[in-house]
Amino acid sequence: MHLPFCAAKCHYCDFYSIAAEGQDVDGTVDAVLLEAARRAPRAPRTVFFGGGTPSLLSIEQLTRLLDGLESITGFRESSVETTLESNPESMDREKAEALRALGVGRLSIGFQSLEPATLELFGRVHGVEDSFRAFEAARAGGFEEINVDLIYAAPGHSPERWAVDLPHVLALGPRHVSAYALAFEEETLFSKWLAEGRLEAQPEERELELFEQTHAILAAHGFDSYEVSNFAPKGHECRHNLNYWANGAYCGIGPSAVSHIAGRRAGNHKALAPWRKAVQAGKSAEAWDERLDPRGRLGESWWLGLRLRAGVDPAALRELAGWTAPEDPALAVARPLLEEGLLEEVDGRIRLSAAGLPLADAISLAFLA
Amino acid sequence: MDTKHIRNFSIIAHIDHGKSTLADRMLELTGAVELRDMQAQLLDDMPLERERGITIKAHAVTIYHVKDGERYQLNLIDTPGHVDFNYEVQKSLQACEGAVLLVDASQGVEAQTVANAYLAIEEELEIIPVLNKVDLAHARPDEIAEEIENSLAIEATDAIHISAKTGKNVNLVLDTIVDRVPAPTGDPSAPLQALIFDAVYDEYRGVIVYLRIFNGTLTKRDLTRMVKSGKQYEAVEIGRFSPKMTPTDTLKAGEVGYVVSNIKKLGDVKVGDTLTLAKFRDVEPVPGYEEPQHMVFADFYPTNPGDFEHLRDALETLALSDSSLSFFPESSDALGFGFRCGFLGLLHMEIIQQRLEREHDIDMIQTAPSVTYRISLADGTEQEIHSPGQLPSPDHFEELREPIVRASMMMPVEYIGAVMQISNDHRGIFVRQEHLSTTRVNLVFDIPLAEIIYDFYDKLKSSTRGYGTLNYDIIDFKADDLVKLKILVNGKEVDALSSIVHRSQAEYRGRQTLKKLRKEIPRHLFEVRLQAGVGSKIIARESIAALRKDVTAKCYGGDITRKRKLLEKQKAGKRRMRQVGNVDIPQKAFLSVLGGE
Repeated sequence: MHLPFCAAKCHYCDFYSIAAEGQDVDGTVDAVLLEAARRAPRAPRTVFFGGGTPSLLSIEQLTRLLDGLESITGFRESSVETTLESNPESMDREKAEALRALGVGRLSIGFQSLEPATLELFGRVHGVEDSFRAFEAARAGGFEEINVDLIYAAPGHSPERWAVDLPHVLALGPRHVSAYALAFEEETLFSKWLAEGRLEAQPEERELELFEQTHAILAAHGFDSYEVSNFAPKGHECRHNLNYWANGAYCGIGPSAVSHIAGRRAGNHKALAPWRKAVQAGKSAEAWDERLDPRGRLGESWWLGLRLRAGVDPAALRELAGWTAPEDPALAVARPLLEEGLLEEVDGRIRLSAAGLPLADAISLAFLA
Repeated sequence: MDTKHIRNFSIIAHIDHGKSTLADRMLELTGAVELRDMQAQLLDDMPLERERGITIKAHAVTIYHVKDGERYQLNLIDTPGHVDFNYEVQKSLQACEGAVLLVDASQGVEAQTVANAYLAIEEELEIIPVLNKVDLAHARPDEIAEEIENSLAIEATDAIHISAKTGKNVNLVLDTIVDRVPAPTGDPSAPLQALIFDAVYDEYRGVIVYLRIFNGTLTKRDLTRMVKSGKQYEAVEIGRFSPKMTPTDTLKAGEVGYVVSNIKKLGDVKVGDTLTLAKFRDVEPVPGYEEPQHMVFADFYPTNPGDFEHLRDALETLALSDSSLSFFPESSDALGFGFRCGFLGLLHMEIIQQRLEREHDIDMIQTAPSVTYRISLADGTEQEIHSPGQLPSPDHFEELREPIVRASMMMPVEYIGAVMQISNDHRGIFVRQEHLSTTRVNLVFDIPLAEIIYDFYDKLKSSTRGYGTLNYDIIDFKADDLVKLKILVNGKEVDALSSIVHRSQAEYRGRQTLKKLRKEIPRHLFEVRLQAGVGSKIIARESIAALRKDVTAKCYGGDITRKRKLLEKQKAGKRRMRQVGNVDIPQKAFLSVLGGE
């Protein structure tokens, strides 16, 4: 469920979001529930509230949203993992307690950095202390399954600093860490600044060093790198996200939300106004859709699946994609990569080797049709 | 209209000296085009021409001008202004009795103006000197008139001073054309003899042939025959360009127009051929038809091997309107099946390449251009070598010779030293130096054509701040100490990247080529080794480090389609490269063997 409101737009962010100030948040909650009533599956296995910053909603709004969703889907009974994304400026103990009571069992907090200058460069509206305070508030409010989002390799970031900051975060006791190398996504302020020379990306060697350091520190603290940028002790992986990488089915509600149902992927209108207009008029809010042929689905499934440490099961992906021809084109692509040592075979599954991991894109590109 | 009231003329000018603007003003003044329909540079109808500001194809237009109460038909035959298009210029001039020699009153006479004016003098045309842009502050018309006299021996003291931009004195130019350009001679009742001076292909109507009638009359529905090719076709439609195609029933001796005959076979029409009626068996062809001389060759390979036939069709279409383009099938170890194409020069090559991509939507790999070499074999026979990859090893031939051009370079005197220097650096041999006026000079050098192609023209432009101009003719083939410079990618020789260079330059050029390749070839999952060699000796090396990190930070449900599409785009970009061994080489890398930037 995509709730598009943020306190402010972060300079690197490419998700659809808008400043909450002056927006009709209540009306949007109504529209989200309207769309959910029409489209949301009953008894979902996992639920994820993302955005945007869902924690920005007031307790009253969150209560209306979650109670409303409960009466539509019965998720409190069915969902094994219900996550809500939050930012430090909009998380306190009272809200945490309310969320727990409303059926949210997992909280994600956007720390992003422990360096004040970097937070400022990112356009974040919270300070370092706010992040720690939010974490403690969430814990005090009853959350145990807490994820922390971090971004490394930002301009000026150093391995020396990371060697201190990352363990500092881990000392809080999160059950999950998403640690991303800063990416200059298209159509963000950061990519514009990069093009204008106002920002400089870290050299590849430095990025690689930080990438390897991230993996090493997290491993030392008992966090498995179960996906290229996601880490958790065994049993605490994000099941909702695992389903994305397994190219599974999901239903997306809200502006810009994407659904993947029965092999068809479709995205809602990105902007709030046209999405809301369509929902309120009782029309489809979809702006685009696609349905890949079996070859396309097979390639896409490999591309996504190779992000996982567990890798892929070729036979299972053939079945998922509906690929029935005797020759598996993905295996033909995999063979030379196995020989070069960029992929490895473990228990019948194929995954990136340690050498292949930092090259995930360049390698998985080969599998796309 | 009787021939007494017809004038056929061209405008000879250097690029940017205002030819298209003058043509536009003439159309406007004579009412051929309503002011509101005017689009700057009306005559240049290929988008590429407008963009580049040069005229690639000859065009024609008929306008009517009234002088002393009498109405005259003026046929303006436009000519390309660049050194590469000499044959087309010649054919256009052959269709005229007079020429306006248009010179920029501040730039002065340029090498190409001289070359084209000489062609006009050879064709015995009446030449009317006109000085353009006289309104500009730095115009120096008297000095430029003196340059015209010194360089062309044409009386220029009475040159007409105009501003094509404002229209000043353009009417006087039209009057002067009527007064001085001779009316065409020719007998409308004689057997038809018409020069094909241009042709274009129209998807719906087939080939449109541009004609100048010398003798006889062409009537709609006549059965025509082309003298050289022997092909017969019915004249389905004939007409004039005014400036849009306007059908008429007859075209008579002296006139300029077009004929449409539903010709779909592109090879049937050749510029320079003579059109007559099928019933006249012994009509003399218009003299001067020749197969154009190709001095620059490059290979075109479709990026997608399945596009080979598509590329062939596209080349056939282009060759129709551009008789100076030649092509024949070719294959390369590295690039598969494609075509070796012969061009008049570098600009010509570039234009063909762009037209293929824009008008025919073909993605292709183009190899660096090379000149034609000649080798003498032990048995005394001669062989032409159009691409360095074809050159056999030195023990298989006696002598390797390369084309030498006599290059005429005009420039302000202060650049003499710099131009002498670059000419010497490019193996040039000084021939002579002529002063056109107190401020401008003509330097003549004999230079290997391969050097001109490598980067001489760029160097000439940059060392004279753009004021130097160049014209050249092939004069000889000469032996020199030439060797094949091979390029190896991960140990594999890539024939499409080899070049023929002078032994003394081999190491330097090898290094330069590798440096450029290093910039052009993307990083791979493994290290890419680049080597340059002569014979079995490696003379330069470079390497492209393996990619170390390439991973998308995050990818969730909402990102999948968009990120996948981004990667697919990247992958499509890779498909536009050619795989040599396991290395992807982009199109631009194949031009790395040339100098310049």
